[in-house]
Amino acid sequence: MVEKKRNPKLESFIITMKIFLRDPGAVFGLVVVMIYILIALIDEFDPGLIGLTDVNSLMPNYYNPSPLPPSSQHIFGTTFPGIDLFQGILKAIRLDIGITFFVVGIGAISGILLGLVSGYFGKWIDEIIMRTTDIFFSIPFLVLAIAIAFFMGRTILIISFALIIIWWPTYARVVRGQVLYIKELAYIEAARASATKNHKIIFKHILPNTLAPIFVQFSMDLASVALIFATLSFLGFVPTLGGSSSASSGGYIPELGYLSSIGYSYAVVGDWWTIVFPGFALLLFALSMNLVGDGLRDALDPRFRR
Amino acid sequence: MKLSTYVIRRILILIPTLIGLTIIVFLLTRAGGTNMIIGPYLNPRLSAQQQLIEKQQLIKQFHLNDPVWVQYFYYMWALVQGNWGLTKTAIYTGPVTTAIALFMPNTIQLAIVAYVIAMFIAIPSGTASAVRKNSFVDQFTRFIAFVGISLPVFWLAQILAEAFATPTISPSLNIFPLGGTVDANLLVGQSWYNQYLGISYPTHIMMIDALIHGDIPVFISAVRHVILPAATLAFTSIAGIMRYMRSSMMETLNQDYVRTARAKGVPEKIVIKKHARKNALIPVVTVSGLLFAGLLGGVVVIEEIFNYPGMGYWTYWAMMGLDSGGIMGSTIVFGLILVSANFVVDILYAVIDPRIRLGE
Repeated sequence: MVEKKRNPKLESFIITMKIFLRDPGAVFGLVVVMIYILIALIDEFDPGLIGLTDVNSLMPNYYNPSPLPPSSQHIFGTTFPGIDLFQGILKAIRLDIGITFFVVGIGAISGILLGLVSGYFGKWIDEIIMRTTDIFFSIPFLVLAIAIAFFMGRTILIISFALIIIWWPTYARVVRGQVLYIKELAYIEAARASATKNHKIIFKHILPNTLAPIFVQFSMDLASVALIFATLSFLGFVPTLGGSSSASSGGYIPELGYLSSIGYSYAVVGDWWTIVFPGFALLLFALSMNLVGDGLRDALDPRFRR
Repeated sequence: MKLSTYVIRRILILIPTLIGLTIIVFLLTRAGGTNMIIGPYLNPRLSAQQQLIEKQQLIKQFHLNDPVWVQYFYYMWALVQGNWGLTKTAIYTGPVTTAIALFMPNTIQLAIVAYVIAMFIAIPSGTASAVRKNSFVDQFTRFIAFVGISLPVFWLAQILAEAFATPTISPSLNIFPLGGTVDANLLVGQSWYNQYLGISYPTHIMMIDALIHGDIPVFISAVRHVILPAATLAFTSIAGIMRYMRSSMMETLNQDYVRTARAKGVPEKIVIKKHARKNALIPVVTVSGLLFAGLLGGVVVIEEIFNYPGMGYWTYWAMMGLDSGGIMGSTIVFGLILVSANFVVDILYAVIDPRIRLGE
């Protein structure tokens, strides 16, 4: 083998990618997630490209409100009141994916910061932050989200806030555990001995090495948050989109859980398609995200690197 | 550290958690505003002026004009005394504590059945996938586990309701009834059943009471009513328990004593069943309780879809009826369940594995 100048970071990245791509499930997941993100982006910037007009509204058709089975005109059929399910799902992906990334992103950042502080400084700061995570872990996710949204309001911001409140403690704990291990290593001691500033040690020397489990957690949480968000809308916490768009939509907001809940009373009398398609769209996203997370776990775990 | 010291330490950690739990719930109720707190107490038949006077009295009664921390002490004092306020929902109106006593037994029944189903599926499949690593069985259970954590609970419940309880869609599969905990016609005139409240005596748990009184048709009816919601709830936790069983079993299979047993010539079946699985089960059984309690929130959706009158059903109607008492009460109860599950699991774990209490 010819000796070249080696770039360890690049090499490590290539190995990770190779292991990741060897797992068919993970690749499938990644492709599906990419398609969902693409749909969400098209919805946001150029909905005309896939034949959508008003992405904030499900566009009810009151002239023909009862659900129609799948046909060449409506691939997935229609749901009450005359909403085309295929278009509805394409629109709903934008809101679901957008909120999910927003919630997990903010939740992860705040959780990581608190976890770093907690693990690095220890003592009473650690005690306070960890006891706080205990408290948030003491109520089942869904129940806490319902309580927060119930008492604080049903706007999209409050619902996102409720989900962020629920999700940061996981990251705080994962990162703290990593930091506790890393800060005992020799290179951190060396950095401290050479009078490196605390924030520099935290962000330059510790943070990059805590990221592997964070990526895994992140991708798995994208699945769970999408599910909880849809469940909340299913239960009636339908987020209102601000401004004129909500008025023009007549209360029908494109969201997968909500689409499912409209369909339920029709599904029990035989119109199965009204719930099967929206739920399946959600299942496919969550499943793909979990497969990506699992693939990442294997790829980032040094024990699998050969 | 001695076990008793560990238990005391763990109880001391419990106190801030419980205080934190009540603070969260308290702050949320206060965030909702005055009307949300006193709403259920207002008498709608009074004139506008009388209501205004009543409102002032209620604000005084609940100390809503005091500083927040003073309010918290009054709130805690009421909680400790068992005065949890009123709930006004479409399915029940009265004290929150009575509502909990009415709905909780049904959720306990649902949870027990679901837990049994989950364990019956998760333990054998977890064992099988650990024994035959990377085989078809392993890949298949792995896939099922992924589907399990990715399924929207409301969707699974709807699909099951459609498939097994909807005559218009699947006449041949329509084998389970929807709604309630039991066919009430079977219970007409039974002295151990209160038709008006819909509860049975002495335990309030229908399946157990039916067995105590030797009423087999009622028992069968109760099982048929609980099986669909229980299967849904079970499916959400199967994935976690199964993966945990798999890794625990793989760890055990690598132990020296298993190698010794194999070297002695003990048949593989007995090695797996007697030597490995029994030991692998211990951590799984302890942790599964916690996994399960964490997912118990799913009953809000499940009980709503199957019209099963438990805590989740009540929470749902409280949510629909803007009933703050119901939401507050159920949040505290679900919190208490999870906190106690956590506590019990920690103690059990320390009993099983002394390394836990020696650490730190």
